[in-house]
Amino acid sequence: MMRNPHGLRRRSILTGASAAAVLAAAAACGEDGPAGTADDPIEINFEWWGDETRAELTQQAVDLFQEKNAGIKVQTNFADFPTYWEGMTGRMASRDLPDVFQMDYSRLRQFGTSGLLLPLEGVVKTDDFRAGFLDTATLDGQLLAVPVAGNTLGLIYRADWFEGNGIAAPAPGYSWDQYAADISTLTPALGEGKWGGGDWAGVYHFMELWLRQQGGSFYTEDGKALNFEAAQLAEWWTSTAELYAAGMVPPVETTIEWVEGGLVQDKLGSEIGWDNFMPGYAPTVEANGGALALAAPPSLDPANLGLYLKPSMQFVISGATEQAEASAKLIDFLLGDAEAIKILGTSRGVPATNAGLAGVEIDPATQAVLDYEESVAQYLTTPPPAPPAATGAIEVKFGEIYQQVQYGEMTAPEAAELFFTEAETLLAAEQ
Amino acid sequence: MSASPSTTARPAAKGAGAPTAGGGRGSAKRRTPISRRGERLVGYTFMTPWIIGSLVFTVGPMLWSLYLSFTDYHLILGGDFIGLDNYRAMFDDPMFGRAVKVTLLYVLLAVPLKLIASLAVAMLLTQSRRGIGFYRAAFYMPSLIAMSVGIAIVWKALFAAGGPQDQFMSWFGWEGGGFIGNPSVSILMLVLLSVWTFGAPMVIFMAGLLQVPAELHEAAEVDGAGKWHRFVHITIPMLSPVIFFNVLMETVHAFQLFGPAFIIGGTAGGPAWSTLFYTVRIYALAFVDLRMGYASAWAWMLVLAVGVVTLIMFRAAKNLVYYAGEDNK
Repeated sequence: MMRNPHGLRRRSILTGASAAAVLAAAAACGEDGPAGTADDPIEINFEWWGDETRAELTQQAVDLFQEKNAGIKVQTNFADFPTYWEGMTGRMASRDLPDVFQMDYSRLRQFGTSGLLLPLEGVVKTDDFRAGFLDTATLDGQLLAVPVAGNTLGLIYRADWFEGNGIAAPAPGYSWDQYAADISTLTPALGEGKWGGGDWAGVYHFMELWLRQQGGSFYTEDGKALNFEAAQLAEWWTSTAELYAAGMVPPVETTIEWVEGGLVQDKLGSEIGWDNFMPGYAPTVEANGGALALAAPPSLDPANLGLYLKPSMQFVISGATEQAEASAKLIDFLLGDAEAIKILGTSRGVPATNAGLAGVEIDPATQAVLDYEESVAQYLTTPPPAPPAATGAIEVKFGEIYQQVQYGEMTAPEAAELFFTEAETLLAAEQ
Repeated sequence: MSASPSTTARPAAKGAGAPTAGGGRGSAKRRTPISRRGERLVGYTFMTPWIIGSLVFTVGPMLWSLYLSFTDYHLILGGDFIGLDNYRAMFDDPMFGRAVKVTLLYVLLAVPLKLIASLAVAMLLTQSRRGIGFYRAAFYMPSLIAMSVGIAIVWKALFAAGGPQDQFMSWFGWEGGGFIGNPSVSILMLVLLSVWTFGAPMVIFMAGLLQVPAELHEAAEVDGAGKWHRFVHITIPMLSPVIFFNVLMETVHAFQLFGPAFIIGGTAGGPAWSTLFYTVRIYALAFVDLRMGYASAWAWMLVLAVGVVTLIMFRAAKNLVYYAGEDNK
């Protein structure tokens, strides 16, 4: 029926191909050469996760950087934590990462093992970091990230509510049972719509803390398997069951709709969390007429709090960057420039460099974090090795499966069983 | 009789619709073979961007994902050929059954409700009234914006605890709170969103309704048939090809629902996996768990399933659908 379909097809493909060639050529003309002058600047991308406040401060610092380095233009972008990582994961697959971006310790291996990150030895300045900080920036002996700031877990609590209801201020060695008892005292005293504390069992990091308090760890040393039993997980997931059933902690139906933390909403009396979050919450809580304080998290063994100093975030450079020099310059500037340090303050936590620590203006809340870190310094132990690449996914799964327990769709042992199946599949997928 | 509104509206619509479509087809057949080649060349040339587009952005990735479904491809680490292992693993995967259940439930709820709503509105909008054009546009409007991110976010807000839905329903003794946090009803948010966007099937139903010969209705009316009888024995049979088309399209679409589900329930299909749609799970497998090979196998299983469902529908349609043109066979 069709007389010469092939001829037609070939010709149309040729037409298409030539059109594509023209487009490609046009695109090539638009590309910037590696010049880097004020008229023809180098362009680099810089992305991070965080809130509006952090974004404003960071943009100010970046503007200053551009002012001082006329040949470099920095495109910035930011998102909240889950959105940021969803985006980065997709872009990692298409090898389309920004030149400079913010890294989380739990994802370092995922990005670092596949040549996606530029080794930073000799590329960025490393001589001014506070002791111990660089340990968590290396992966298999190679420096792949620089720490921006450090943090450790703590119990952030409403000092006014605790005191007002006759609850003693938590001190190192405070037990999990005591914490549960205090929540049970506080919640009824606070009245409708407020709780003494949140359900902590759904957070991966707190389970890790709990395991470390028993001398264990979440993953085996080589990072290829889980280092605990399903029964332990079931035990952990039942540890808040009584509080939950009695309504002493907010129900999942409520928390699922929260877009910000319970402390800043004036609804929670305490929360286990990263100590550097405290200065972020403090102004809002004060505006609500409250006062925050920081104590060591509950533990099983007063001699072993399970704590370690973790980089709260890191900066990395994409292995595919064409502008390694300019990227390194930006990182050095953000971490080392006196003016930049002043602008950025403690929005990313207490700075990891000596210059940063000396130069940053410290408000009372930040001072409280420094005091807290000093008070638990004797309890800090060696950080675990950079967790396996699947950690990000495992962390998500941990919360997702615990939600089934909260909703009563599964019992804790069933959920633990399912978590093991899922986590083991994820760990196996990367071997 | 012929001056009544219902009969004047009909020939006008027929004149605008049917003859043009028929004429177009007829004139193409009458073209001489000489000009055909050149015409086809021009045609293909104009189509080139779309041909390239569909090869590069649809056919290529599809074939690639078919290949990936036979590998243990990890988004970063790559992978090897593992034969049918992914397809076997699916049947041991506890999440597979859940995702299938949620998706089927959605299809079974959303498709009939949406079609009933769209048919009802289409019947109202085929009456001739003043300002009917405005009403038609107004009812179509939600479909234009419904799949947008903004609507999904607003939609979610409507079903928050203490939000409009919660307040409204508590007047009637509802104590379940907002749908967002309640796994036993959360899927209804998406069903309602789908029902609200009945514009596309509505337009098709309207076109179909306007084609139903008025003589049939008039004859039946003379014989004393009431509105309901005429609807069941005239409108529905005459409309059956259009109904079939809409059922088919909506079912296929419903199986693929992703955007609103993703925004409302997140990658985890919250609360408690009650909105863990099949496609959302595919996304999570690929981009959270990074198991692209396994995710591809899931995707192809969906292709297969939708294919089978479509096939069953075509079989069933043979007995259920009435085509007016086939009377004399």
